[in-house]
Amino acid sequence: MAAVNPPASEIGGLQEETLQSRRAVGGEGSGRRSRLSPLRLARAVVLVGVVFGAAAGLILTIVFGLAHLLGIGGTEWVGLLNIVGVAFILVMMTATLLIVAERKWSARMQNRVGPSRARLFRNEKWAFYGIPHLAADGLKMIFKEDFVPPGAARLVFSLAPVLAFVPAFALIAVVPVGPDIMAFGTEVRFQVARIDMGILFIFAVASVAVFGATLAGWSANNNFGMLGALRAAAQMISYEVALALTLVGVIIVFQTIRLEEIAAFQDGTMWGGLIPAWGIFFQPFALILFLAAAFAEVKRAPFDLPEAESEIIGYFVEYSGMKFGLFMFAEFIEIVALSALIVVLFFGGWSIPWVSHEALQSWLAIDVGLGTDWAALAAAFVGLFAFIAKMMFFVWLQMVIRWSFPRFRYDQIMNLGWKALLPLSLVNLVVTAAAVVLDPTLSLALAIGLGQAFLLIVVIISADSPKRGMMAAAQHDHPQEVSCST
Amino acid sequence: MPGRTRHLPERKTMDLLERTYVREMVRGIRLIGGRWARNLISPRDTEHEILDRKGPSEVTTIDYPDERAPISSDYRGMHRLTFREDGRPRCVACFMCSTACPANCISIEAGEYEDDPIEKFPVLFEIDELKCIVCGFCVEACPKDAIRMDTRWSSRPTLDRGTAIWSKEQLIENSRPIGPTIPEGLDGSSRLESREHERLEMKRKERAPGSEEKLEERLGPDRRR
Repeated sequence: MAAVNPPASEIGGLQEETLQSRRAVGGEGSGRRSRLSPLRLARAVVLVGVVFGAAAGLILTIVFGLAHLLGIGGTEWVGLLNIVGVAFILVMMTATLLIVAERKWSARMQNRVGPSRARLFRNEKWAFYGIPHLAADGLKMIFKEDFVPPGAARLVFSLAPVLAFVPAFALIAVVPVGPDIMAFGTEVRFQVARIDMGILFIFAVASVAVFGATLAGWSANNNFGMLGALRAAAQMISYEVALALTLVGVIIVFQTIRLEEIAAFQDGTMWGGLIPAWGIFFQPFALILFLAAAFAEVKRAPFDLPEAESEIIGYFVEYSGMKFGLFMFAEFIEIVALSALIVVLFFGGWSIPWVSHEALQSWLAIDVGLGTDWAALAAAFVGLFAFIAKMMFFVWLQMVIRWSFPRFRYDQIMNLGWKALLPLSLVNLVVTAAAVVLDPTLSLALAIGLGQAFLLIVVIISADSPKRGMMAAAQHDHPQEVSCST
Repeated sequence: MPGRTRHLPERKTMDLLERTYVREMVRGIRLIGGRWARNLISPRDTEHEILDRKGPSEVTTIDYPDERAPISSDYRGMHRLTFREDGRPRCVACFMCSTACPANCISIEAGEYEDDPIEKFPVLFEIDELKCIVCGFCVEACPKDAIRMDTRWSSRPTLDRGTAIWSKEQLIENSRPIGPTIPEGLDGSSRLESREHERLEMKRKERAPGSEEKLEERLGPDRRR
């Protein structure tokens, strides 16, 4: 073949070599010469665990420690401590780190090195995975010119970033991140506000966020900003309908709209301890719909039409400095808040599957011998740890989705919102309602949910490995070369 | 002309499963998430000659100012004036290069050796690297192999235009690490080229057996004349 057509054979030979080497070594379709070293994987897992544990410990120390010291256990003042512990430590810190993580992780996903220039000292050992970029970014934004375009509605222009930021931040207020504990005579909860509204509060606050985006685009006196604002308004209002309707199914199953009760319910099990009573087992289909609607609410790829940095810069096109920073930060806070919400509604909140909080507490108190008070604290730590771990998984998932998928076209967004998500969530609502009415013990709802989950898993398993998919594509494109190599 | 018509491959319509996008999402997440994990926790292979990566870390870019990819032996950038064994420049101030220069960046002032009535030498030989367009015409024009651009670096950025004008002494200094130039044709190649050859040989030995063809392919045939 090489003699007949040199240039073609060169290309073919290259592919041949690639395919052969992939095929020769891979074994189970991995196609890699060297695999991840288990030692490094273990080290990474331990490191992540230590970080999560530190965060959980910090929250526990601040909320419980201060409540115990100040003697305000059991009062509403605990909510104030939670603003520090949960809102600032957990949400704010995670969102701040996400600013770096987005840049660094996207680099890893695209086989790049990523930002590494901001360092504590000149040596590259002090790059710390790019985390000093936080400080660099913050300083940069603070010292940038605070520009207001001519013809802008000044008051609204200044108000819009706040309107975008505050609702995102307020979402976390009703989310319980840990179990209620009673230790050393101090009663503590890990939730900023314990209000009757629960999920309704989330709907209400989330729908305020649309004002931020819309007013930002409108007030800037910029055509592209206006386009972004229109897109934001249309998209967010459309998806709010589906977002709310998918959650109605969850409300019906748990028969409460208080998030702390939903979390406590999921601590139990169904069918005699066979299956944890997590929302995902009752409503897997609603989870998929909710994820889609929620991603659209956050306005990130693949739903980033209001921003659409490659066509219109989006609703915040005229913003600079810290006002733009607020929009950016609001986005990351929304990611964290949304992940927390997904965890509470569908993944059992702070609960560990099959082990209820009481069982864990009594095991720690009696079998391990910690005593009641320390056992309560340890159980709270475990709960906080579980919550943070689950939440970070969904933060990660949103990052991966954002960097994996292309932006939808505008009509596709509207079709998906109104023609797919809305009817499907209505169907889900009707089926769930019927199941709960027919069988108030929720067994039927669980069976239907497991059936849906089974279907989804079949669909997902039927997805062949991405690498094998690429191999098939290569064979399809260059059948001759491949046949040469075999 | 019907013989020239090319048929595009038939476009497959998506089935219902594909249109729900769920399976495609899972596929994408698996691919990108796997790459993320691999690249995040495994050490980066800093060998930039490898294009088709198979290791745990597939990161192909380099951490630029700290690491630099070697400049190709074909690279032409900063000028240098070659010199003879006794340290005199090979240049005979014939003005061929400054005549050939389309950017007018070479200025030469000729002088005569006291003991040699025939040969001239440059009293002044300056190149304004800000004007230079790196076309290489000066090198082509030179009859004495006195000017070359194979230093494998470019003129560095300066804050002062004056420092971008390189004097004769500086240009000869650029040739110092390479040594006095034996005229082409005496041994067939300059020392720079043989050093380059040595470097490649070293690389070849370092790399695992079997990768030699790939390196050759990557570097391409030697396009020097």
